[in-house]
Amino acid sequence: MKLGGIKSVENAHDDSVWAVTWVPATANRPPLLLTGSLDETVRLWRSDDLLLDRTNTGHCLGVASVAAHPLGSLAASSSLDSFVRVFDVDSNATVATLEAPPSEVWQMRFDPKGAILAVAGGGSASVKLWDTSTWELVATLSIPRPEGPKPTDKSGSKKFVLSVAWSPDGKRLACGSMDGTISVFDVPRAKFLHHLEGHFMAVRSLVYSPYDPRVLFTASDDGNIHMYDAEGKALVGTMSGHSSWVLCVDVSPDGAAIATGSSDRSVRLWDLSMRASVQTMSNHTDQVWGVAFRPPGGSDARGGRLASVSDDKSISLYDYS
Amino acid sequence: MASVYIPVQNSEEEVRVALDQLPRDASDILDILKAEQAPLDLWLIIAREYFKQGKIDQFRQILEEGSSPEIDDYYADVRYERIAILNALGAYYSYLGKIETKQREKEEHFILATQYYNKASRIDMHEPSTWVGKGQLLLAKGEVEQASAAFKIVLDGVRDNVPALLGQACVEFNRGRYSDSLDLYKRALQVFPNCPAAVRLGIGLCRYKLGQFEKAQQAFERVLHLDPENVEALVALAIMDLRTNEAIGIRKGMVKMQRAFEIYPYCAMALNYLANHFFFTGQHFLVEQLTETALAVTNHGPTKSHSYYNLARSYHSKGDYDKAGVYYMASVKEVNKPHEFVFPYYGLGQVQVKLGDFKSALSNFEKVLEVYPDNCETLKALAHIYVQLGQTDKGQDFIRRATKIDPRDAQAFLELGELLILSDTGAALDAFKTARTLFKKGGQEVPIELLNNVGVLQFERGEFELAQQTFKEALGDGIWQSFINEEKKSSVDAATSTLQFKDMQLFHDFESNGHHVEVPLDKVTVLFNLARLLEQLNESGTASILYRLILFKYPDYIDAYLRLAAIAKDRNNILLSIELVNDALKVNDKCPNALSMLGELELKNDDWVKAKETLRAASDATEGKDSYATLSLGNWNYFAAVRNEKRNPKLEATHLEKAKELYTRVLIQHSSNLYAANGAAVVLAEKGHFDVSKDIFTQVQEAASGSVFVQMPDVWINLAHVYFAQGNFALAVKMYQNCLRKFYHNTDSQILLYLARTHYEAEQWQDCIKTLLRAIHLAPSNYTLRFDAGVAMQKFSASTLQKAKRTADEVRATVAELQNAVRVFSQLSAASNLHIHGFDEKKIDTHVGYCTHLLTAAKVHLEAAEREEQQVRQRQELARQVALAEEARRKAEEQRKFQMERRKQEDELKRVQQQEEHFKRVKEQWKSNSHSKRRERSDDEEGGTGEKKKRKSGKKRKKDKHSKSRYDTEEPEADMMDEQEMEDEEGDVYREEPQTHGEENAHGLLAAAGLEDSDADEEMGAPSSSIARRRQALSESEDDEPLRRQSSPVRENSGEMQESDGEIRDLDKTNGDDGTDEDKHY
Repeated sequence: MKLGGIKSVENAHDDSVWAVTWVPATANRPPLLLTGSLDETVRLWRSDDLLLDRTNTGHCLGVASVAAHPLGSLAASSSLDSFVRVFDVDSNATVATLEAPPSEVWQMRFDPKGAILAVAGGGSASVKLWDTSTWELVATLSIPRPEGPKPTDKSGSKKFVLSVAWSPDGKRLACGSMDGTISVFDVPRAKFLHHLEGHFMAVRSLVYSPYDPRVLFTASDDGNIHMYDAEGKALVGTMSGHSSWVLCVDVSPDGAAIATGSSDRSVRLWDLSMRASVQTMSNHTDQVWGVAFRPPGGSDARGGRLASVSDDKSISLYDYS
Repeated sequence: MASVYIPVQNSEEEVRVALDQLPRDASDILDILKAEQAPLDLWLIIAREYFKQGKIDQFRQILEEGSSPEIDDYYADVRYERIAILNALGAYYSYLGKIETKQREKEEHFILATQYYNKASRIDMHEPSTWVGKGQLLLAKGEVEQASAAFKIVLDGVRDNVPALLGQACVEFNRGRYSDSLDLYKRALQVFPNCPAAVRLGIGLCRYKLGQFEKAQQAFERVLHLDPENVEALVALAIMDLRTNEAIGIRKGMVKMQRAFEIYPYCAMALNYLANHFFFTGQHFLVEQLTETALAVTNHGPTKSHSYYNLARSYHSKGDYDKAGVYYMASVKEVNKPHEFVFPYYGLGQVQVKLGDFKSALSNFEKVLEVYPDNCETLKALAHIYVQLGQTDKGQDFIRRATKIDPRDAQAFLELGELLILSDTGAALDAFKTARTLFKKGGQEVPIELLNNVGVLQFERGEFELAQQTFKEALGDGIWQSFINEEKKSSVDAATSTLQFKDMQLFHDFESNGHHVEVPLDKVTVLFNLARLLEQLNESGTASILYRLILFKYPDYIDAYLRLAAIAKDRNNILLSIELVNDALKVNDKCPNALSMLGELELKNDDWVKAKETLRAASDATEGKDSYATLSLGNWNYFAAVRNEKRNPKLEATHLEKAKELYTRVLIQHSSNLYAANGAAVVLAEKGHFDVSKDIFTQVQEAASGSVFVQMPDVWINLAHVYFAQGNFALAVKMYQNCLRKFYHNTDSQILLYLARTHYEAEQWQDCIKTLLRAIHLAPSNYTLRFDAGVAMQKFSASTLQKAKRTADEVRATVAELQNAVRVFSQLSAASNLHIHGFDEKKIDTHVGYCTHLLTAAKVHLEAAEREEQQVRQRQELARQVALAEEARRKAEEQRKFQMERRKQEDELKRVQQQEEHFKRVKEQWKSNSHSKRRERSDDEEGGTGEKKKRKSGKKRKKDKHSKSRYDTEEPEADMMDEQEMEDEEGDVYREEPQTHGEENAHGLLAAAGLEDSDADEEMGAPSSSIARRRQALSESEDDEPLRRQSSPVRENSGEMQESDGEIRDLDKTNGDDGTDEDKHY
């Protein structure tokens, strides 16, 4: 397996690019790349040439997260001011504006069926679930306070939720927090299940394997990528190699590889059968905040694509094979 | 058997004497000889026969009788026979003298011999045989020239006198003219083909000396053929056999040598060679016996020297250096010039090195070097001595020479590398690499230490991949391969146990699976270094397994515990890290490294009192010599001084003083300790001496760049703080940004905060806000950053609204920013209901209130601005139209003017033409005088400007000089710093393991010296009260504003821990002021 650079767009945004996701193909258009930046805009790009399709404005403060509905028609973007804007991808019409004060908004993910939008709630130590038909808050998954008072450990008392991930069957939701713990929820029953231990620094990104609903990959500021059995509460493997924070992780549609982006400016490709880094792309000149594999489907059956975005204002597109 | 017949006097009868049946008592024969008055030649024959039979006494008795005065009288007219007898006696005593070893007896013999020859000469001056005898005597006495003269006398008379020829040949041989000698021997042989074997021996020796070994050998063999018991020939042949240096030759040679020894056990040469042989076979007892015999039987200097040398060697190899030294010395004493026999000098040198007498050893080896200027061993020995004497440069020179002479001497390159490590790691690496290639080429196994050194050097130079290969090569096959190699990794699922830092189950599993978990002692260091390298390559999981493997086999290996602890610490698993350090302390509770690390961890865990105790213990454990512990204590004091919210000035001063004292103490011990210098500069800055501290920081920064193992972001930050405090915001920004990029991969929100603060102070509002947003993105849970962002937005808006002139767009942006600020503040306000962030709700509400107030005001402003803009636009439109009309008018005017002009010009032209003609006429009249005047003036002008120019350039030069001299003074200082630093590093590198410690220390120091974080936590606890206090200050702030302004940056930026508290305070204050300003405005 390997990555081959296809195209890079320098100055794709006027400032650091912080978020990236693919908007799945619809009947009348191929998949699009969606990016969000500190320059307060959200932009849509046509692959493979990375032609700018549209620039959405309206956010204040930097855009920290973007998410796309599995059907490809809707997308959500959120900024540091904690507003979530849900919009129609093709018309840019605002569908809804969400906020749940005092909860902040960090990472967002639609569930695999597209019925729920999960939003990492930062300091509220919870994940907010929004119904995608009514755009009403349907549930708040709160991380329970750890048992036993730990007054000395100040950071331990609050779980600042940064990231969320859905299991492929949509039954489980995992969220990562500043202190490195990962919490797993049973979504249908809206119940906290357990913590996954192992990281002691912020987990900014995590993703479930597309085939195995038990396997969860997590990226942490401690520079390591962990592979958990999310049901069995067990750490299955550790992959190290980045020399700084691992900011983002995504798993390939075939489930054979993961890609990670790091503060060390590199994008790495990891072979899961070897559990080792097989390739390092160092075309970015600053921290890589997002990596995203293009979901399968759509009219063009070309090979896999991986996109990465960075503080260096650029977007890069790679061929994955 | 031959017999002689002694004629009976006065008769025809003869007495028949069978020569093989000579009576034991010579007196019997003498009686007959005397009685019968036998001719003297018979006396001689019989004496000679006695001699041949080895009956020396009888021989002497007859001859002495035969040369007695009575005989002289009686046989007065028989001259030749009398001379012959005397000569025989002379030759006999010459021989005695020659073989005698005791000096006195020797001389007595020679005196006797001389007397006999003189007596013979008195009988007949011209008898050649006497001269030959004299020549032989002189030869035996070593007076070669006189001997030559004696032989010449004979040869001048009779050209082919064989004895003389032989004598002269001997003379030439001794003079070293071997071919002349050979010619003489040959002539003797031609003249007298049946001459004794000795002549052929001479030929053989000459040929040997001339390097004609084959012919020499033939000659010696011929000698042996003629005289199977000729010891010299045997020895000579044996030596030639030995020289072949082949097993068969040596064996043959030794057989011959032994035979020679059996024939004549007192030949020193044979004895020496035998001893030499037995030295190599290791039979030291025989060596000693043989050499002692040899010493007893010879007086010949070189041979004796050889014997002593053998003896010394024997003791040397037995390790008895004192005795060996004595005998080497004796051997050296027997040698006149080192050129003759240089080996004992070498041996002596070796022994002296062993005994620590380097000076003497040096002179001995230098003597060897004079003889063999290209001897690598000697060069290496000299290099070693020079290094021991501290003259590393000379040592390097010698070892370099050795490597140049023999570029295939791996050992020499190895030594060269070891020497160079101290000064030039690059060259050292090259030398080591060459050594490695040579070892490989020679089919030898490359020493593990060599590979380890190569690896460490590559590691240090940042060639991580190469270093990894080298370490793996050094390790070779072993259990560790199961953990290192990618392919094999899957077979053992090591990954699962990477997090269990103390888990040894993995290895137990291995053992129970039948694998043998084995780590040879000599590979532990390499394994450790490899693990260290893997850490550097971010393979901390594998590194952790390797460390545990070391601990599994060597549970006392403290460094492995400490590295494991460091990995845990990097992952922010403080409790586990502390546990691991405690494991290390169980092995050695005084280990200063472990104690220092524990102290640092305790600081990280916010356990101040405990940390101080631990650091004290670490300092005590090394009796205050460990700079790290002292430094940490210094840091402790510094932070204690500045962390206290209440800022008890007295306490602060004492803490600072104490910190300074501790830093200074370290600097006294290690004048090039970067961290101590940094600390001292921080204290200085804290006291307001910015210029001095800036100098120090700059130097530290320069010194710290260029090594993989020294990473000092703190000094960059400190330098930036100083720039900031001095108001040089642009430089400060640059410095912060470089530091962020260089050391933190842009991930440190604290530095971003400093950066934002600088932008704030420089009134670059947008940059400030953007920087803060980045910081929030990096550290989302730090609400202080949000507060600061809100403040920055508010300040930006306020300042735009304050501007006298502003566009509607500006105002619109202001409004947007104000809305953001309101949102940020209200979010904070809401969030503080949930958690404690350290913000006073009321305070935030004030901000919200103020912002909304501003917002309403801004809306008015906006309307005003828009209206104004509208008006301006209208006005501009009006102006434009007016301008257009004006333009049209102007154009018409111009047109008119132009036409008028043209008419005028035409008139003019005519007039001019008329005038010109007139002018020409006038000109001709003026021509002569006006010319000279003009020239004068122009000359003057030129001179003036020239002078000015000169003066200017002179000034410039002066300036140049000035700046140059300044550079000059600065540079050496920096150089000195560098050098000292280098030395320090060298010390570390040379000891392979400590080096990794040092590194670890460095890491620790970074955190310890920086330590911004530890306080970031701290400030969360207390701030609500402090904010209240600040607000109090706020109300008073109007009066003492300028004063405070001045002092605040000093406080904040001089220290490394610019507290975000301070930040807020400052921001608050300015806000407050702005707020009142605004109020006044409206």
